[in-house]
Amino acid sequence: MQELKIFHEAIQNPGSVALKMKEKKRKTIGYLCSYAPEELIYAAGFHPMRLFSSKAEINLAESHLQAYCCSLVRGILEDSLSGKLDYLDGTVFPHTCDSIQRLSDIWRIKTKYEFFADVIMPAKLNTQSAKNYMRDVLIKFTTDLEKACGEKITRSALKKSIAKFNLIKTNLKKLYELRSQNPGILKGADIHAIVKGSMIMDRDQLVELLPAIVSKVSDVSALDQGKRLVLSGSICDSPDIYDIIEQAGGVVVGDDLCTGQRWFDGKIPENEEPMEALTTRYFERIVCPAKHSSTIARGENIVKLAKQTEADGVIFIILKFCDPHGFDYPYMKEFLDKEGIKNILIEIDDHSLNSGQLSTRLETFMHMI
Amino acid sequence: MIFAGIDIGSITAKAAIIKDNQLISTHVLFTGYNTLTASQKVFEELLSKVNISKNEVKTIISTGYGRNSVDFADKALTEIICHGAGAHFLNPEIRGIIDVGGQDSKAILLDNNGKVTNFSMNDKCAAGTGRFLEVMARALELDLDLLGEISLKADTPANISSICTVFAESEVISMIAKQEKRENIIAGIHESAAARIATLAAKIKIQEPVMMTGGVAKNIGMVKALENRLKCQILVTDSAQENGAIGAAVLASTL
Repeated sequence: MQELKIFHEAIQNPGSVALKMKEKKRKTIGYLCSYAPEELIYAAGFHPMRLFSSKAEINLAESHLQAYCCSLVRGILEDSLSGKLDYLDGTVFPHTCDSIQRLSDIWRIKTKYEFFADVIMPAKLNTQSAKNYMRDVLIKFTTDLEKACGEKITRSALKKSIAKFNLIKTNLKKLYELRSQNPGILKGADIHAIVKGSMIMDRDQLVELLPAIVSKVSDVSALDQGKRLVLSGSICDSPDIYDIIEQAGGVVVGDDLCTGQRWFDGKIPENEEPMEALTTRYFERIVCPAKHSSTIARGENIVKLAKQTEADGVIFIILKFCDPHGFDYPYMKEFLDKEGIKNILIEIDDHSLNSGQLSTRLETFMHMI
Repeated sequence: MIFAGIDIGSITAKAAIIKDNQLISTHVLFTGYNTLTASQKVFEELLSKVNISKNEVKTIISTGYGRNSVDFADKALTEIICHGAGAHFLNPEIRGIIDVGGQDSKAILLDNNGKVTNFSMNDKCAAGTGRFLEVMARALELDLDLLGEISLKADTPANISSICTVFAESEVISMIAKQEKRENIIAGIHESAAARIATLAAKIKIQEPVMMTGGVAKNIGMVKALENRLKCQILVTDSAQENGAIGAAVLASTL
């Protein structure tokens, strides 16, 4: 499929995407987590681009970080310090885990991109005052962006931006639904490229490409089935894992990843006041374990997802040293165990994949479920 | 009908032959650098030992970390599945397995059909595995096979606090320098490895009766240290090291 090639190329080289955006007079703002309000960044005339580690060898970042920082934080800092991210015009750090917050501090002092913003969102998302606060934070961020671009973000620009991101996210959701009905229409590594690419590429291009992919895979007739699996965890930026899962006889039918459903779920109502609607979306979305909405929200969500997708099992994929997900794992596992949904934990690292051990674990798990 | 199982581990290659649901024989070799050569050699040597020709063997299953390099096998299955089948074949009562091999240790739960219902496995680190014991034996200038017997003479097992093979080795070396008794050091090494393995067993809530399999089960000191930790009796068969290969042969007969 021609469209897939574009996604694979873009994720290989985000820098070239940024250069093309510059030709279109859009400066690139990098962001660190799925709580970054892309809609506002785009409405201000910037190009939002999620940052991932290039997985280069870590040298420079070592002198700034503790051994317990995850490979994502380590890798992104290395990329910045070694000049690999020189194409960036700015960065946004939403308030999430401790490591990303401290990375923000190092970043502010050590890097020299034009624009910098911390978006200090509330961590507890279950009170009206937290919602009001969330709204204030988004307004403050709007002001920061307006200063940077030298213009007001108009109501209509924000509305247009919301509609664009809704279209992108709705198509991703549709793609996930199609895959759940007929796994194998796309390889796991292709879905990974599409979702990752959707956080990196030109949004004007995405609104063309994504519906085209959705329409092409809608026509694919039923393919080989395997053990149906849901992935749960933080980010999964190791496409090899999908190959290992597929070789072990599994098919991924859904996920709650930060680089997956957790990011694109939740359409923003287009007929409401845009700032209110935006606030509600970021307030009500399925939380990341660095935030809190209730003691049951994340547990119930994974059970619901596993049931909806008729999953045979759940694979927890956690980035090594990711403490929010590490603390959350026993809680999430308990919810699944109670429902008799088989699950397994694998820890990954951006820089090395022990594929021998991993396939032994996953093959045995497929055999077990 | 004759079936074979071949288990290519990180240190040794094992083969087993089953005829009419009876274990005929097993064979063990060092794996060395080339896993395919090792698998051919261990299989051929076993066949000539029992005077069976290749074409009499109906099906072969390969297992172990080198399972996918055995190109003459009909199917590859993980060693976790095969150790389950092997333990069930030798003793159908078994519900829990501790398998400690060259570079991995695993705790496995079985149902009454010998099917794996849960398992846990060490992460990348080799602490508590056969390789760990090899490194320690070398530091103590002892033959690996002697560790078990000598450790039983210990009066006060030394305290090895480190869980990393490399750091534990330097702890052992400083104990040697302090002239700590050899048997106490070895018992301490076993304690440290057993503590590590016991956490894997606890993760899956291991159930009795428990069998220990894998090459490390030949070390009586390790078995005793684990029995103390798990507070239960641990069964060990004469073919503990070949248990994965036996399981592979058993599963080959069901293909």
